[in-house]
Amino acid sequence: VPFTRHYSSEVRTVTLIPGDGIGPEISAAVQKIFAAANVPIQWESVDVTPVRGPDGKFGIPQAAIDSVNKHKVGLKGPLMTPVGKGHRSLNLALRKEFNLYANVRPCRSLEGYKTLYDNVDVITIRENTEGEYSGIEHEIVDGVVQSIKLITEEASTRVAEFAFQYAKENGRHKVTAVHKANIMRMSDGLFLRCCRDQAEKHPDVKFEEKYLDTVCLNMVQDPGLYDVLVMPNLYGDILSDMCAGLIGGLGLTPSGNIGLNGALFESVHGTAPDIAGQDKANPTALLLSAVMMLRYMKLVQHADLIENACLDVIKEEKFRTGDLGGNAKCSEFTNEICRRVENRG
Amino acid sequence: SGIPKALYGGRHTVTMLPGSGIGPEMMNYVKEVFRYAGVPVDFEDVQMDATAESNEDLEYAITSIRRNGVAIKGNVETGSMRRGVFSRNVALRNELDLYVNVLNCKSYPGVSARQQGIDIVIIRQNTEGEYAMLEHESVDGVVESMKVVTSENSERVARYAFEYAKRAGRRKITTIHKANIMKLSDGLFLETSRKVAKEYPEIEHNDMIIDNCCMQLVSKPHQFDVMVMTNLYGTIVSNVVCGLVGGAGLLSGKNYGDHYAVFEPGTRNTGTSIAGKNIANPIAMLNAAVDMLEHLGHKYHAEIIYDAIEKTINEDRIHTPDLGGQATSIDVVQNIIKHLQQKTRTSN
Ligand SMILES: Nc1ncnc2c1ncn2[C@@H]1O[C@H](COP(=O)(O)OP(=O)(O)OP(=O)(O)O)[C@@H](O)[C@H]1O
Ligand SMILES: Nc1ncnc2c1ncn2[C@@H]1O[C@H](COP(=O)(O)OP(=O)(O)OP(=O)(O)O)[C@@H](O)[C@H]1O
Ligand SMILES: [Mg+2]
Ligand SMILES: [Mg+2]
Repeated sequence: VPFTRHYSSEVRTVTLIPGDGIGPEISAAVQKIFAAANVPIQWESVDVTPVRGPDGKFGIPQAAIDSVNKHKVGLKGPLMTPVGKGHRSLNLALRKEFNLYANVRPCRSLEGYKTLYDNVDVITIRENTEGEYSGIEHEIVDGVVQSIKLITEEASTRVAEFAFQYAKENGRHKVTAVHKANIMRMSDGLFLRCCRDQAEKHPDVKFEEKYLDTVCLNMVQDPGLYDVLVMPNLYGDILSDMCAGLIGGLGLTPSGNIGLNGALFESVHGTAPDIAGQDKANPTALLLSAVMMLRYMKLVQHADLIENACLDVIKEEKFRTGDLGGNAKCSEFTNEICRRVENRG
Repeated sequence: SGIPKALYGGRHTVTMLPGSGIGPEMMNYVKEVFRYAGVPVDFEDVQMDATAESNEDLEYAITSIRRNGVAIKGNVETGSMRRGVFSRNVALRNELDLYVNVLNCKSYPGVSARQQGIDIVIIRQNTEGEYAMLEHESVDGVVESMKVVTSENSERVARYAFEYAKRAGRRKITTIHKANIMKLSDGLFLETSRKVAKEYPEIEHNDMIIDNCCMQLVSKPHQFDVMVMTNLYGTIVSNVVCGLVGGAGLLSGKNYGDHYAVFEPGTRNTGTSIAGKNIANPIAMLNAAVDMLEHLGHKYHAEIIYDAIEKTINEDRIHTPDLGGQATSIDVVQNIIKHLQQKTRTSN
């Protein structure tokens, strides 16, 4: 399962899902910066607003599915999921539709942006297709609800294998399997066994097993203890957000969803309805996700150029957005990055 | 919660489950401190074997707690992975119907931690949810694990939280959930706490998704007052907050049902790797002992021991390595005893 794919230098088309809320603004920012950096990419923008299918259920429009299937690589802004009712999470549907089995989230302290933690450098790798997100729930009798967590050998093995592969390809040293097999003895036990099997196949990468609670405890005291973390769906969701908190919030952290035959990169934050349409959003998370995408496509020089420009602007403070304590508009931050890539590119 | 039983001639008998890892050493410190403080409590020691292949010792422990009403416990590892051998800790809480776990996370000014001035109360559903331990392998390589949420237990824990807040003069309760994904199960938990909240208009109520909650905890923890949540989110949030305040060795947690109470260290660690080295922090278990004394109504003894702990940590700053200090476990305990001796001398 290679994390990077090789493509020729011709212009390639990539699907863009701008998303809801602040999605369109930050997507436009990314497009502008990519244009300034002359990235050989053409965007195919698609709408994923749910439509009623032949079965009467709401789902992703076929055109969007076709686009991702054709181009195999996509960038996605945040999508709105109503709490407690309505249609199922679109994010979930996309992950299922494209078999995006591993969610990769690097969290690294940003040089120049001070938080309580300055030594964070962890990668969380989350199983992305099953677990607590199976969507199987029933009310057995009145007032008693069952929710099923599904763990399979197949999904656990492929995400574990991905973790070790990722560690090797990215010069990482250790993989930690995060679990709760002392309580969920069979399900997390199976996940753990699959990780152990992969560890045996990759003896050059150090492997350890840790309880979820122990990782939570240690992570907030000394994040330097961890390197690459691999875990079932829900734990990954929670831990990756927590790690994002350590380095300054969701406005900063990128993520990639790696699938069997393609990849979808996305910002991890939500639609931020409170600031949508006001030119206040921080596009960094989506931009760094787009940078991950470039690396996946082997456009390493463009990736470096854009990433450095973005981090430099944050470091220099003058053009920080509101979430980082600054008062720059999204467009001002974006323009400053463009200016730099144009000068350097 | 329930009336303490087994009171003979002003003395209480309490079940003591030392558990594995550092548990036994911690319990010895509790006994020693109680001796110097002249606490009128006797312990009924019950050992649970981590490697046991049967549930016999578990049954015995449960019987003992039923008889005494109150227990203090360390964490029990469950070595056997055999089917039908459950986590001892979970089985015990379920059998005794200890439906709520309360963890008061208050910063010690003398401990240099990532965050200062924290005062969060975590109230956790303690007997169902992800810890239902209903699992089966339907096909080879496919395991289903059941999470169970009932309106009855959701209501009991929500009501406990609001009553607690009212009694303790707390202003805000935040329900932690993942109802955007687990719409029925976490949805039921959330809806129930909203319903109960209506009966307490003087207490502010809001809710937060567990992943956002963890992010908020590590960046802006002071926004939280009382938090109420399901079982698994409870273990996550407890460990995050304890980590922020100074680690696994400081705080204690309380498990309550309608009839029984069990006191233990807040993060329920075993500490296998630090056992027998005279380096584990005894404060968490001693705080559990103080909680137990308060529950039994031994206010005076609870207070003098708590004062001695407080002076040791905040003023004398006798800290074990987990708090960045160099003191041994015994140094800490002896310093506490020193304060107790001064106290009992002056009062005699
Ligand atoms: N890119 C961003 N730039 C600036 N602030 C952001 C950004 N993303 C999120 N925020 C802020 O973080 C907070 C949480 O927002 P987020 O959108 O993640 O969750 P939400 O409001 O619950 O939305 P959703 O329902 O889509 O998940 C909001 O106050 C929002 O303004
Ligand atoms: N009383 C204590 N004093 C100091 N450190 C503690 C104490 N209790 C737990 N710890 C530490 O907190 C961490 C989590 O403890 P826990 O027992 O859950 O770890 P674990 O994952 O079970 O590993 P192990 O039990 O082998 O240490 C460990 O690093 C442990 O050494
Ligand atoms: Mg999340
Ligand atoms: Mg342990």
